[in-house]
Amino acid sequence: MTDDDTTQIQEPQPEPKPQRRMTRPRDDRVIAGVCSGLGRYFNVDPVLFRVAAVALIFFGGAGLILYVAAVLLIPNEGEERPETRRNRDRALAIVGVILLVVAAGSIFSHGVFHVGWLFGPFLFIALVALGVWWLVSGERPQGDAGRIARSIARGIGVLILCFALALGGAWLAGAGGGTAAAIVVIAAGAILAGAALEGYGRWLILPALSLALPVAVVSAANIDLHGGAGDKSYVPASAAQVRDSYHLGAGRLVVDLRDAKLPPGDRPLKIRLGVGEAILLVPDNVCVANKSKVGVGVIDNFNHSNGGVDVDAADQPPAPPGNARIVLDANVGLGRLGIGHYDDGRVFVHKPFGHAGRGDYNFAGQSNTGCEATHGG
Amino acid sequence: MAGRRLQIAPLVAGLGVILVGVLVLLDAQDVISLSFAALAPLACAVLGATLLASGLTRSG
Repeated sequence: MTDDDTTQIQEPQPEPKPQRRMTRPRDDRVIAGVCSGLGRYFNVDPVLFRVAAVALIFFGGAGLILYVAAVLLIPNEGEERPETRRNRDRALAIVGVILLVVAAGSIFSHGVFHVGWLFGPFLFIALVALGVWWLVSGERPQGDAGRIARSIARGIGVLILCFALALGGAWLAGAGGGTAAAIVVIAAGAILAGAALEGYGRWLILPALSLALPVAVVSAANIDLHGGAGDKSYVPASAAQVRDSYHLGAGRLVVDLRDAKLPPGDRPLKIRLGVGEAILLVPDNVCVANKSKVGVGVIDNFNHSNGGVDVDAADQPPAPPGNARIVLDANVGLGRLGIGHYDDGRVFVHKPFGHAGRGDYNFAGQSNTGCEATHGG
Repeated sequence: MAGRRLQIAPLVAGLGVILVGVLVLLDAQDVISLSFAALAPLACAVLGATLLASGLTRSG
């Protein structure tokens, strides 16, 4: 073998692959070709980027800033600049974008542009729907705009189904149909398990869990939706007008016994509220023995506050001779139970959104003054 | 006829849902008192077991 032979058998070197660069095409552009360039670069339908850009424009104006930034950062097709100049331009563009974002944040946060809150939820729902469909079907969100739109539509369908099942199950359990709701849940589980044995049923998992878990939450919280909904206020003017029990499904229930002139001795009182706030107001000379439960929420028993899940209160102070004692048996599924007393000058004005999360009746600093002194707290 | 292939994740979820339903039924019949202290770990266990079964099935 000669040197010439050796030279002849050398394999030809593969040509280096041209570096893939993002550019703005000149032949397929609506404004400056940014979305078209992104579509070509990521091999995705540019319509998706156009839709996202329009949505982001209304979502606080970020789309506009990002589009301008992209025009600065992405060169036109055929106008690729030398590396050093490109780096310098890129650094300047990034600084510009940061300044624009800071400026836009201060402008848009002061209420100049309010359309974003309309589009934000739609964008959020679309993303959640895509995720749900991915979870349910196992299909990754990819492909052209039509396929992604179909995935979003199917995901929204699954979300609506799950929401309806959750709401229906919770309502059935809360309206006194606990047994029926439990049977429906067991049936749903059996169908799911049966479908699994038949080799399918993956898509049934989410709807079945959406039904079962709210039913269980309503049962655990003892939420009772009997008694209607809304704000109800009871102010009996005499002891005879005081009922044995007060019920409300959802809302605010105020039982104001300050004018009831209760006679000495024990007076049982039952309060049942599904969701919301129950308030018991008593005069200074009435003692309250409290045996209550809140599924999820807080019990404000005069100046004692206890919150969380499965909140129980068991306070049985004796009343001095001559004083009335309310023996309270309250159950609130989800919300707040407040017990206290205000004189007329201290009643809080009803401001639904004016108080930070704890209702309008703040009993901090009050004590159960109608009880014997040693239990005054 | 194509053979049926058992799906583990829906089976685990289905059994978990049945368990939840049975507990709700017992609570409705006042046999037990269902509380969040019991429900929270149960819900976590059902969801966790379902996700685990789903993940194991895919990786398998």
